[in-house]
Amino acid sequence: MREIEKLYDRIIQRVNINLRELEFDVNPYVQKIIPFVQMDKFYAFYGISPHHPLNFQFRNSNLAGSYFLGKCKVTNALLYKSDIRGDELKKKGSLFRYQDYEVPVNEDEEIDIQDSFLIKTLVHNYSHDPETLEKFFITDTIAMNYANIHGSPSNGCFLGVFATVDLTTIRDCVIGNFSYVQAGEISHLNIEPGTIWIRNPEKFNFFYQHQKDTLNDYIYFSAGTRPQGLFIDFIEDRKEAFQHVFDMVNMEHSVPVPNNASLDRFAVTKGQAHIDENVLVAQRAFIQNSWLGKGSNAQENCYIINSRLEGCDITAHGAKICEADLGRHVFVGFNSFLRGRPDARLKVGEGTIIMPHTIIDTRESLVIPAGHLVWGMIKNAKDLATNCLSIEEFSAIQSSISLGNLFFEGSGAEFVSAFKERIEHILQDNGAFFNGSDRKGHAQKNQNISFNTIQPYPEGMKKGLFPTIIIEP
Amino acid sequence: MNYIVRDLMVPISEYSTIPEGSTLFEAVVALENAKIEHDRAVYSHGMVLIMGKNKMVLGKLSQLDILRSLAPRDTFTDKLDEMGKFGFSSNFISTIREEHRTKKTSLEEFYTQPETLNMKVEDFMKTITAHEFVDENTSLDAAAHIMFMKNRLSLLVTKEDRFVGVLRLSDVFSTVLNTMKEAVSSGRKI
Repeated sequence: MREIEKLYDRIIQRVNINLRELEFDVNPYVQKIIPFVQMDKFYAFYGISPHHPLNFQFRNSNLAGSYFLGKCKVTNALLYKSDIRGDELKKKGSLFRYQDYEVPVNEDEEIDIQDSFLIKTLVHNYSHDPETLEKFFITDTIAMNYANIHGSPSNGCFLGVFATVDLTTIRDCVIGNFSYVQAGEISHLNIEPGTIWIRNPEKFNFFYQHQKDTLNDYIYFSAGTRPQGLFIDFIEDRKEAFQHVFDMVNMEHSVPVPNNASLDRFAVTKGQAHIDENVLVAQRAFIQNSWLGKGSNAQENCYIINSRLEGCDITAHGAKICEADLGRHVFVGFNSFLRGRPDARLKVGEGTIIMPHTIIDTRESLVIPAGHLVWGMIKNAKDLATNCLSIEEFSAIQSSISLGNLFFEGSGAEFVSAFKERIEHILQDNGAFFNGSDRKGHAQKNQNISFNTIQPYPEGMKKGLFPTIIIEP
Repeated sequence: MNYIVRDLMVPISEYSTIPEGSTLFEAVVALENAKIEHDRAVYSHGMVLIMGKNKMVLGKLSQLDILRSLAPRDTFTDKLDEMGKFGFSSNFISTIREEHRTKKTSLEEFYTQPETLNMKVEDFMKTITAHEFVDENTSLDAAAHIMFMKNRLSLLVTKEDRFVGVLRLSDVFSTVLNTMKEAVSSGRKI
C-alpha cells in the first residue's frame, strides 16, 4: 500500500471517530471520488508578494493542483485543487475585536491544516474564533467539491458539495450539500442539505431550507454516488478553459486591465470582457462577454457570463451570474446561482442583497427591484413574491416572521445592518474604494504575485506525496 | 428501616397492562381504568405497560406519550421539531405551530378519526431499555440513585429475570418522606 493510501485511510478514520455520535460514515462519500492516480498528476503552486507574509510548511501531504498564499501549514493532509488563500489573515500587532474585548494579536495568523482531505475547496478570510486568534485550524475534516471554509476553524467535520461555513467555528458537524452556515460556534449538528442558517444569538436568526426535490436538480450527492446535477454540468462544460491557464507558465491578459485592477493569471476571460478600475478577478474565476464596472469583484470559482455589473458589485465565492444585469452595489452571496436567458434577462436593482446560496433560475424576464433582500429558490415572479422583501420592510421586523420556507426571529434591522456592514468591508478589502494612494485592497495588492510550482514524488512508495517543504522569506 | 425494592414495588398483578397489537383507544381506556381501579395511596398509576407474548415488557405508555402520539404530524411539523436545535425560541416555534394547525383539520376531528383511534401501540410506545430494570433485592438507596442518575420516574422490577412489578418514584419519595417525619416525631433534633 502506498503512503498516500495509508494517509487517506488515516484521515477517514479520524473524521469518522469525530462523527460517531452523529452515526455518519464518510467513507462511502469520498471513496473513489478522486482516484489516487489523479493526485499524482498536478503540481501545486504558491504565491509570493511583498504584501503578504511568506511562510509555507508542507509535510507528508498531497497538494495536487492546490494554491497557497500567505502563511500556511499543511500536515498529513490531502488537498486536491483547493485554494488556501491567506491574504486576509490577522497581522501581528493588530487588535482583534470581539464583543467588548480588544485582544492584541501576538504573531501573524496561520492557516493550519492537519489530517484533512479538501477537494476543490476554498479556504479564505481569518479565524473569527476569539479563542484561536493566531491559528485558523482545519483538522480531521473532509470538505467535498466547491465547499467554502471562510473564516471558520473546523475540527472533526464533513462538508458536502457546495457547502459553506462562514465565520463559524465548527466541531463534529456534518454540513449538508449546498448548505450555508454562519452561526458563530456550533458542534455535533447534522445540517440537512440546502439549509441556509444565519444566527447571531440574542440578535437574529435566519433559517431557510430548500425543497429537497427541487434542489436535487441543481446538486445531488449522496453516499456511493458522484456529485451530479446542473451545477456540476455547468462547471464541467467550462472546465477545459481552465486547463489552458494552468498549462501555461506565463499568461498575458487577453483583455485590458487598468493598473489599479487585478485579473488573476489563473482566471479565465472569454469573448468581450470589460475590467474597470478597482476590479478584482480572483483565481479560478470565469468571465465571458461581461462588463465588470468600477469596484466590482469576482471571487474564486465565480462565473459571470453575458452579464453587466454596473459597479461595486460583489460576486462572492462560488457565485454564478448568467444573462443578468446588476445595478450598483448588488451583493450576490456565496454559491448563489443567478440565471436569466438571452431572451429573458434577469435584472437586479441597485443595493439589492442576494442571500448566500440563493437560486434564481428564470425563463421569463424578471426584475428584482432596488433595495431588496432576496433568498431561496426563485423561478418566476410568483416565487419572487414569497422569497423577497424590501430592505425597509425587513428592517422593520421586530420579533419574527415566517414567509414560505423562511423563518426569521429577532431584529430585522440588526440583520440588515450586519449584512450592510459586511458588504462595505468586503468592498474595502477587495480594493473597490482605492483612490490612487489610499484604501488599497486585493485588487491593488494582488496585481503582482509571483507563482512557484512544487511537485510530488514521481514514483515509489511516496509517489504522489510532496516532500517536506519549508519556504520562508 | 432498610428497605429493598420488593418492599415498595407495585406487583405486576396490580398494574395496568395491555397486550402488543392493542390500539391507541384501548391504551387510553387502560390508562383511565388504572387510575380508577388501582389508586394506591395518594398516587395513581400514570402508566400502562405493553406486554409481549412471552410475558416480557415491550414498552410503556404515559399520558404524555399518548398526547405526543396525538399531535398532528406532517413534514412541516417535523421541520418545526428540528428547529429548536437551530436556536429558535420555544415561543416562536409554538406560534408557527399554532398558525400551521389552524390551517389543518380541527383537533376534535383529528382525535376521533378511525386512523387515529386504531393506531397500534407499538408505533408510539416508549421501548424499554436495559437500564430501566432493577432486581427486587436492590436496596432503596441504590434504586433511588439509578432513578435520579437516569432521570427515571419508574423502574421495572425483576426476580430471576422474570418481570414482577414496578418501582415508582412516587412510592420511593413517600417512603423517604415518611422516614424523615418519623425520625423527627420520635424526638430527633433538627
